Amino acid sequence: MASKFGLAGGIPERRVRPIWDAVDSRQFKNALKHVTTLLSKHPNSPYALALKALVLERMGKPEESLSVSLKAKELLYANDSLLMDDLTLSTLQLVFQRLDHLDLATSCYEHACGKFPNNLELMMGLFNCYVREYSFVKQQQTAIKMYKLVGEERFLLWAVCSIQLQVLCGNGGNKLLLLAEGLLKKQVASHSLHEPEALMVYISVLERQAKFGDALELLSGKLGSLFMIEVDKLRIQGRLLAQADDYAAATDIFHKILESCPDDWECFLHYLGCLLEDGNIWCDEAVNDPVHPPKFINCKVSHLTDEQFDSRISIASDFIQKLQEDTTNNMIRCPYLATIEIERRKHLRGKGNDDNLMDSIVQYFCRFGHLACFTPDVEMFVEVFTPDKKTELLGKLMKSSEALSTPPIKTLGLSISLFKIQQLLLGGMFKSSIGDLELSCAQMSEMYCKNLPLSKDLDPQEGMHGEELLSVTCNVLVQLFWRTKNVGYLVEAIMVLEFGLAIRRHVSQFKILLLHLYCHFGALSVSYEWYKSLDIKNILMESVLHHILPQMLVSPLWTELNSLLKDYLKFMDDHFRESADLTFLAYRHRNYSKVIEFVQFKERLQHSSQYLVARVELPILQLKQNADNIEQQEGILESLKCGNHFLELSNEIGSKSLTFNEDLESRPWWTPTSEKNYLLGPFEGISYCPREVLTKERETNLQRDIEKKSLLPRMIYLSIQCASSSIKEHAKVNGSVTPDVFSEMKLLLERYAQFLGYSLSDAIEVAMGLSSGGRSSVVSGSNLIDWLNFTVFLNAWKLSSHELVQPDRNGFRPQIWNILDSLLEKYILEKVRSIEFQLCSPWSDFQLLMQLVTEPLAWHGLVIQSCLRLCLPSSKKKKKSESVYQSSSNLAHAITDSVQHLSNVLEQVIEWLSKWNKRPEDETLENILFLLRKDGPNNGPGKVFHILETFISSMNDVELGDHISQSLKSWSPADVARKIMSGKLKVLMEFSAICESKLKLLHSIKQQIAQL
Amino acid sequence: MTTMRRFCCNDLLRFTDVNLDHLTETFNMSFYMTYLARWPDYFHVALAPGSRIMGYIMGKVEGQGESWHGHVTAVTVAPQFRRQQLAKKLMNLLENISDNNYNAYFVDLFVRASNAPAIKMYEKLGYVIYRRVLRYYSGEEDGLDMRKALSRDVEKKSVIPLKRPITPDELEVMINRGDNWFHESAHLLLTFCIICFFYCLPNFYVVYIC
Repeated sequence: MASKFGLAGGIPERRVRPIWDAVDSRQFKNALKHVTTLLSKHPNSPYALALKALVLERMGKPEESLSVSLKAKELLYANDSLLMDDLTLSTLQLVFQRLDHLDLATSCYEHACGKFPNNLELMMGLFNCYVREYSFVKQQQTAIKMYKLVGEERFLLWAVCSIQLQVLCGNGGNKLLLLAEGLLKKQVASHSLHEPEALMVYISVLERQAKFGDALELLSGKLGSLFMIEVDKLRIQGRLLAQADDYAAATDIFHKILESCPDDWECFLHYLGCLLEDGNIWCDEAVNDPVHPPKFINCKVSHLTDEQFDSRISIASDFIQKLQEDTTNNMIRCPYLATIEIERRKHLRGKGNDDNLMDSIVQYFCRFGHLACFTPDVEMFVEVFTPDKKTELLGKLMKSSEALSTPPIKTLGLSISLFKIQQLLLGGMFKSSIGDLELSCAQMSEMYCKNLPLSKDLDPQEGMHGEELLSVTCNVLVQLFWRTKNVGYLVEAIMVLEFGLAIRRHVSQFKILLLHLYCHFGALSVSYEWYKSLDIKNILMESVLHHILPQMLVSPLWTELNSLLKDYLKFMDDHFRESADLTFLAYRHRNYSKVIEFVQFKERLQHSSQYLVARVELPILQLKQNADNIEQQEGILESLKCGNHFLELSNEIGSKSLTFNEDLESRPWWTPTSEKNYLLGPFEGISYCPREVLTKERETNLQRDIEKKSLLPRMIYLSIQCASSSIKEHAKVNGSVTPDVFSEMKLLLERYAQFLGYSLSDAIEVAMGLSSGGRSSVVSGSNLIDWLNFTVFLNAWKLSSHELVQPDRNGFRPQIWNILDSLLEKYILEKVRSIEFQLCSPWSDFQLLMQLVTEPLAWHGLVIQSCLRLCLPSSKKKKKSESVYQSSSNLAHAITDSVQHLSNVLEQVIEWLSKWNKRPEDETLENILFLLRKDGPNNGPGKVFHILETFISSMNDVELGDHISQSLKSWSPADVARKIMSGKLKVLMEFSAICESKLKLLHSIKQQIAQL
Repeated sequence: MTTMRRFCCNDLLRFTDVNLDHLTETFNMSFYMTYLARWPDYFHVALAPGSRIMGYIMGKVEGQGESWHGHVTAVTVAPQFRRQQLAKKLMNLLENISDNNYNAYFVDLFVRASNAPAIKMYEKLGYVIYRRVLRYYSGEEDGLDMRKALSRDVEKKSVIPLKRPITPDELEVMINRGDNWFHESAHLLLTFCIICFFYCLPNFYVVYIC
C-alpha cells in the first residue's frame, strides 16, 4: 500500500510540503500553524498527527508530542481501511526515536507488516527499526523474508551481515556462520554474486571459520573478477595463503605486490614474514588492539634450519636490492628501511652483526635523515642495541652527517634528527651529565635562532623550519628539573615554548607540552586556555581529552569542567543515537563491511573508559556545585533517580570490559598516562622514554574507581535520608522508610569499606581510631578522601540509628560526629600548613585540600542541613513528645558544635588563600624571572633563556622578514611570568570562593539555630 | 613508506596527529560515517611503519550523465610527513578510482580564490580552473571549482572553463528528498556547503570542500 504519486500519507503533497519546509528551516511555530490547518481538514489522518507530533517534539514539548503520536498510532491500529504507508510510519518512527521510544516505532512497523505481509517498503522500514534496536536476530529474519519475497542479492547480504553481527557483537556462536555460508553458497550457485562487497563478506565468513582454502578457491574463480583493483585482490589472496600456512605461494603474491607498490611497508613485512615462515603478523592482527597497534611486529623463533634461514634472507636482500635499483623516486623509503628490518631479523635469529645493522641505519640516515619522520622510522631498530652500541651508533651518525653536503634546510633537518636520536631515542637526556644537557639545550636553541631566516618567506600558518628543536629543548629542560628539582628549568621550558608560539601560534605539540607544564605549576586555568586553543571537538575529544580532564576533575574550575564534560557526553550520546541510522545507510548502499565496522565501533565507544568516567563525574560535579543548598541538591538527586541509576552502573561495571581510546603518543615523556607523573617523585633515571602502558592494570584500577564513585550519589541521597530520620518519633510521624534506608545504607557502607580493604566493622574501628592518631597510618594521599567520605556516610548512618535519643558520653551527639569534625579539621589544616608559598608548591597537595572541602566536607554539610530541617519549627507537625523534644534539642546542640568547628577550619583556609593574593605582583614576577637570571649564564637554568633574549636584542629585521621580527618584538618574558602566577591565583581564588560559599552556609545555619 | 588502505572507523581514534593541525577540520561523526557508508572506496588512509597515520583523503562520486565525477572533499597530511609528495599520491589514488572503478568523466575540488600556492599545486597535478563560485566560503570569499578530466572524457569537454561565475545556489547539491535520513538534513547540508572552508598551501596539503 505504497503512497500514491503526489500523495503523502493520503494527503496531497502540496499541503504537506510547507510543513516540512518550515521544519527544515527550523520555523516550528509556522510549521505548527500549517499542521493545525491540515488537521482541521484531516482530523483522523495518522500522517497529519505524526507531523504534529514531530513539530511538537522539535518545539521542546516531548510529552505533548508523545500523546499526539500515540493517538496517531492508535488510529493506525484501529482502522483497517486506513492507508498504512511508509511515509506515515517513517515520520512516526522519527518522532518515537527522538522521544527515546524505539519500541513503539518498531511495534507500528510490526503491525503494518502483519497487515500487509508482502509490502517490501514496510519490511525495509521494519528492518531499519531492528537495526536501531540492535536486534540482530530479528534483522536476520526480516531480511530473509525480504529475500524470499523478491530474491534480491542485497537482502541476502543483509541477512548474512545480521548473522555476522550475532557472532561478533551478540551472543551467537561461531556455528551460526555455517548458516551464513550456506545461504551465500546457494546464492552463488543459483545467481552468483554481483558486488565486490558481497564477495568480501563471503570471504570474511569463510576466514572467520578458518576455511582459507575455500576462500582462496572463491577468489581465484570467476567471482574474483569482482575486485576491480588487482592489488586489493592480491592482498587478500596473500593473507589467506599465509593463514593457510602456504607460505611459498603467499611470498610470491607479496613479492608481486611489492613490485608494483615498492613503498608499501606493511606488504614488505608480510613478504618477509611469509618468506621466513613466520605467521606472527597475522596472529598479531587478531590479538592486538587496532587503536594502539604495536610499533613493530614480534617474531617467532623460526623453525627454519640455519641454511634455510640464510638462503631466505639472501633472497629477501637480493629482492630489496633490486627494488632499490628500480626506484627512481627519491621519496620512496620502504626498500631502504627494509634493509634494516632484514638486519634486525638476522639479529633476532642470533646471526646478526651489529656493524651491519648500524651501517644500514647510517645509510638510511644519509638518505632520509633530514625528514621529521626519520627518528620514529628507526626507533624500533635502535632498541636492538646494547647501551655501548647505541653510543657507537650516535658517533657514526654524527660522523656521517659531517661528511654530507646538503642545502641548509636539509642540514637543519639532519641536525634535528641527531638531537632527537641522541636525547629522546638513545636516552641521552636520562644519562648525560647536567652540564652536557644544558649545553645541548643551548646548542639546540642557538640552532633554532640561527635558522629562523630560512622560514622568512613561509606563510604564517605554515610549519617553521626547526620547530622541533624547541620541543626537544623543552623535554630536556623538564628532565633537568626532574633531576635537580630546580624550578627555574621548568620556567625556562615554558619560556622556550611560549617563544615558539609567539612566532607561530599554531604548533599543537607546543601547546600540549605547555598545557602539562602550566598544570604542574598549578596554573590550570592557563592549561585550560591552551587546551581550548587546540579546538578539540567531535571524535578528537575521545582521543585528546585525557590531556586536561583528569586535572580538571580535581580542580575548582567547575564551570570549565562542566562544559568539558557536557560537550564530551553530548558528542558521545549524539553518536550513539545516530549510529544505527548510519549503519542502515551502509546497508542501503550495500557497503556490508561497513555495517559490521559501524556496530563494532559504536560498541568500542560505548565501552570507552573515558566515557564511563565522564558519565559518573558529571553528576558528582553537579552534587558538588549544589551541596550548599539542600533543596537544590535534592532536586539534582531526584533528577538522578536518587542515585539508583549509578548504583546499577556500579553493580555492572565489574563485568564490563573497557576500551582505552586515548592517543597516549602525544603525551609528554614525564606523564605517559594520566595516572603517572614522574615529576612528582624523585629522579629514577629511566633509561628511555617509557611508552609501555599496562592496559589490563589500568582497566582494573579504573573499574574499581568508577564502581566506587558510582556509589556516591546514592550514598549522599541516603545520608540525607538517614539524617532526616535521626529522631525516632519524627520518622514514625512521617511514615518514613527508615528501616529500608538504614539497611541499604549499611549495605553500601559495607561495599565502600571493601574499597578501603576492610570489612564494615573493621573499617568502623579504623575510622573511630583515626582522630586519636592510632590508625592514621592506614590513611594515605590516595585513600584519604575515601576514608573521610566513609566517615561522613558512617556518621549519617549512625544518626538514623537514633543515638541522639540517648547520647553517648561525648555530650549531645554521636561520638563518630565528633571524630568526623576533628578529622576534617586535622587533614584540612595539615594540608594548609604543609603547602608552602612557593611558585612550584606540590600541586597534588592542593588538589587533596580542594577535594577535602568539596567532597567529604560538602557531603557532611548536607547531613547537617538535613538535620537542621528537623529542628526548624516548620517540621514540627505534631506536638513533640518528651523524647523527641530531647532529641531535637540535642540535635540543635550537635549542629551548633559542628558548625562552629567547621567554620573555624574554613576561615583558616580562606585566610591562607588570601595570603597568596596579597603578594605584590611585581615582586612575584621578579622572583620568577630571577630564577632564570640569578646565577648568570654559567650555572643552573637560564642558559637557553639568555640565548633567546640575546637573539631578540640583536636580531636582523631584514634577514628574518617582517612577520617573524614583528612577532618576536611582541614576545615578553614578563607576560609569561605573569601568566604563570595569575593562572595559579585564578585557581586559588576559585577555591576561595567555594570556601566562602560554604562558610556563608555555616553562618546561616548558626543564625537559624540561634533563632530557635 | 606508504601503505594505502581504506579508512576505517578506528582510524578516527588514531588521526589525532593529522587533525590537531589547525587547518584540518574535524567534522562531526555523521559526516565521516556518511562518507564511509556511501563511498568507502573514496576514503583512504596512508600509513607509515608502526601503522602511524601519515594522512588521508576523503571524497565522493556524484552527478548525472556527463557530470558524473569524483570529488575531493578533504586531503590532509600530518606535519612530520609533509614535503614527501604524499598529497599527490593520495590525489592520484582518488583519480584512479574515479577513472577505473567508477568510470567518471572528471575529478573536481574547490579552493579559495586567494590561495595561489594551492591553485598552483593543483595546476601542477593537472587541474584547471573550471569556474568561479561567488562568495562560496562563508558568503565572503569566492571559491574556484578546479577540474581534471579523466580518460572517459576523451574530448576534455568537462574542463572547458565556464565564462561566467556562478552562485552557490546554482551548484548541484545532491539531495535525495525521498531518503528519510537526509530529509531533515537537507537544509543543514546546504548551509554546510556554504560555510565549509578550504585552505591549502603546497606543504600543508589540507583541503576542505563539501
